[in-house]
Amino acid sequence: MTSDFDSRVRKSVAWHFDPDTGSPFWLGKRSGLGFDPVRDVQTAADLARFPDVSEELRTVPVPDLIPRGLRDKPFRVFESGGTTGAPKRIIDSEVRGRMLEWARDQLMDLGVPAGGHWLHLGPGGPHVVGSDVARHAAMGGGVFHTVDFDPRWVKRLVGSGRGDLADEYIEHLLDQAETIMRSQDISVLNTTPPVLEAICARPDLYDLLRSGIEAVLWGGMSADQETIRLLDEEFFPQATVAGVYGNSLMGVAPQRAAQPGDTHRCVFQPYPETTLVQLVGEDGHEVAYGERGRVLLHLVTEEMFLPNVLERDTAIRVEPAPGSATDGLADIRTFRSLGQGEIIEGVY
Amino acid sequence: MASPTPAVIDPLIAGRTVHSADRSPLTGVLGEPLADIGQAPRLLAVSALRELRERADGLPPGAEIFRRAADLFTDATLDGESPEEYARRVTLGTGLTATTVRLSAAELAAEMRDLTGIARAELPGTDFGPGHRTRWVPRGRLFAAVLASNHPTPSSSWLQALFHGYSVLVRPGSRDPFTPRRLIAALIEAGLPPHRVAFLPSAHAVGEFLLKEADRGIVYGGDRAVASWQDNETVAARGPGRAKALVDVEPDDAVLDHLAESAAFDGGTRCTNLSAVFTSRPVGEVADLLAHRLSALPVLPASDPKASLLVLERSRAEQLERQLAALRETLTDHTGRFDLHDALVRLDDGSFLPRPLVLSADRADHPALGTELPFPFVVVAPWREEDGIAPLRRSLVLNLLTSRRDLIDRAVLEPSIRKITTGTALPWTTPHGIPHDGNYTQFLLEPKGIVGDSRH
Repeated sequence: MTSDFDSRVRKSVAWHFDPDTGSPFWLGKRSGLGFDPVRDVQTAADLARFPDVSEELRTVPVPDLIPRGLRDKPFRVFESGGTTGAPKRIIDSEVRGRMLEWARDQLMDLGVPAGGHWLHLGPGGPHVVGSDVARHAAMGGGVFHTVDFDPRWVKRLVGSGRGDLADEYIEHLLDQAETIMRSQDISVLNTTPPVLEAICARPDLYDLLRSGIEAVLWGGMSADQETIRLLDEEFFPQATVAGVYGNSLMGVAPQRAAQPGDTHRCVFQPYPETTLVQLVGEDGHEVAYGERGRVLLHLVTEEMFLPNVLERDTAIRVEPAPGSATDGLADIRTFRSLGQGEIIEGVY
Repeated sequence: MASPTPAVIDPLIAGRTVHSADRSPLTGVLGEPLADIGQAPRLLAVSALRELRERADGLPPGAEIFRRAADLFTDATLDGESPEEYARRVTLGTGLTATTVRLSAAELAAEMRDLTGIARAELPGTDFGPGHRTRWVPRGRLFAAVLASNHPTPSSSWLQALFHGYSVLVRPGSRDPFTPRRLIAALIEAGLPPHRVAFLPSAHAVGEFLLKEADRGIVYGGDRAVASWQDNETVAARGPGRAKALVDVEPDDAVLDHLAESAAFDGGTRCTNLSAVFTSRPVGEVADLLAHRLSALPVLPASDPKASLLVLERSRAEQLERQLAALRETLTDHTGRFDLHDALVRLDDGSFLPRPLVLSADRADHPALGTELPFPFVVVAPWREEDGIAPLRRSLVLNLLTSRRDLIDRAVLEPSIRKITTGTALPWTTPHGIPHDGNYTQFLLEPKGIVGDSRH
């Protein structure tokens, strides 16, 4: 099955390093690579030869990222959360839409309703998740409700020891959510674990949600195993509770349907068309199934080429579901000893 | 004395054990796995708060339950744990000596048998003549206790809340989940309705959440743990005690014996143990005399009945070693001359024993004054008349060995000094009604007026 991805790697490398179709960003790097990407990169394993350029996404002029072969297409720019410093920027025209179609099917397999109206209590603005959730709602013919939600402000409050103000900000978001819930028929809630915890601690809002909601999607931050169980069994037993792992760079990795023998309640699966996630040990090699490794991401699309990105997260490597070649990821946790200063996880 | 199987401990909500998927191992002071603790995430705390609040009616459970529970706590096998096994676990978890653990269990039991007496001593009368009376009632329904592991006796705080009618959520200290767990088992066995109590081993952040959500609460811990609750009306913050003494008399044998016991009672683990001495006499002399006395305390493993000093496991010992090295940079060590042992003794059983330590400072406002460590640790500093009470502020207990009446009066009026002892009296042996840090019963209860004749 990896051979599919291998052929995608070859096609993608040929595209991104062709002077007629590649982006100025990658074309400018070709001579400094020390190898010929078109000749020497034939398989996914060869992606390890590329440097991790993701740090440069914090500063590179966005037009330089757009492949020349796609310059007639409309592109949008999105930013990462900014948890590890200045945000990284990505561009998207059509690829993310294809991935979201696939993710929608995955989520429907879990019991997320095909239609219905959505409430997103998470970041919008430059953050791609807001746009993703809006598209999910639209794909099912539903209305997209949201509130203004600035995760960087929350992180600044938490990071400077003003946790009380952060709590107050969350309450402000929940006040608005309650207003929406009182008059609108919401089927799907998309938010983060800390916001869900705050919702559950507010009886009126919780009762409103519990009685009407069909699916609760959580993402953006890790949740421990017992929290996932409590959401599923105790707080929203009548709804589908599903996690969506992901970030701006890698895209979304929704929870996959439970498999016999799964030891984790929630196993994530990335989009096999464009995304290869490897879990690596300190020696850089992939860890065995059942072991914890750090997330190493390769994104291979005609719009963006991001090989060898070492992420801030760790996860347990889980065997692919039957019929799939994609490893599962379970029990995501933040890699604590990242050298770029303390990671502040706020509410997103 | 190591046990082959670690204790399995899980959250308990309204009598229901929740086997948590999030496990955290507790390593004992000998480096052995002592317990496998299921952690309560914040959502489980939300769940517990809801469940307890729904059925919290404020009715006191009755003194008889606490008397029976006291007997069970000291004598019975509860959840398969004998009293000896309980004591062994607390000793291995906290490093407190077997003697301290045995005495503190007896102390807790004695308080449970006499909660009525404690309350009576801390409350003024309620009879205001015919048709006019007050009743002392809980200020809320839910009480949260965030405990530390320095000593078992602080559990009496939540026992009192429970006694007066609160429903109680306990977040145990990470090294001593055993004491609150056993107390709760004893209470339920004695007839306490299980929905009155929740036991939630958890991260400190979950404890903070409980304190925010409960109507009243108490938090024990270091400066960082209690700082945000310092001026909170609904939460009693119990940080480092910073107990001090002013030695303004000749340091004769009686005074030195008294100071040594103030510093070393219970191994120096109580918040009321002496941690700073100010003196109008020559600082170096007083420090030498005190160091000499404390150096006589024996080096023994915590399990030895004659042991009096706390032991630590390797990681905390190493942390302490770094902290002591930093302190020695700005202070003078007086212990080295008298103590034959290393400052941190590695015992044969694998634990580490910090030796009593006396350091001196060259001025009354030295920043190291106020440092509180879990073993006999005293900083001696100079005091002159013109310093007044300024260096004596921020003390849970201030021991005044002086004949200056005006100074005693000013200390009594100083809000940041919470208790005064004079002469060679010790702070921990007081009758009911002598406040430890304000009137705790009145923190839990408020008076409510009841006016009218009794016929309707």
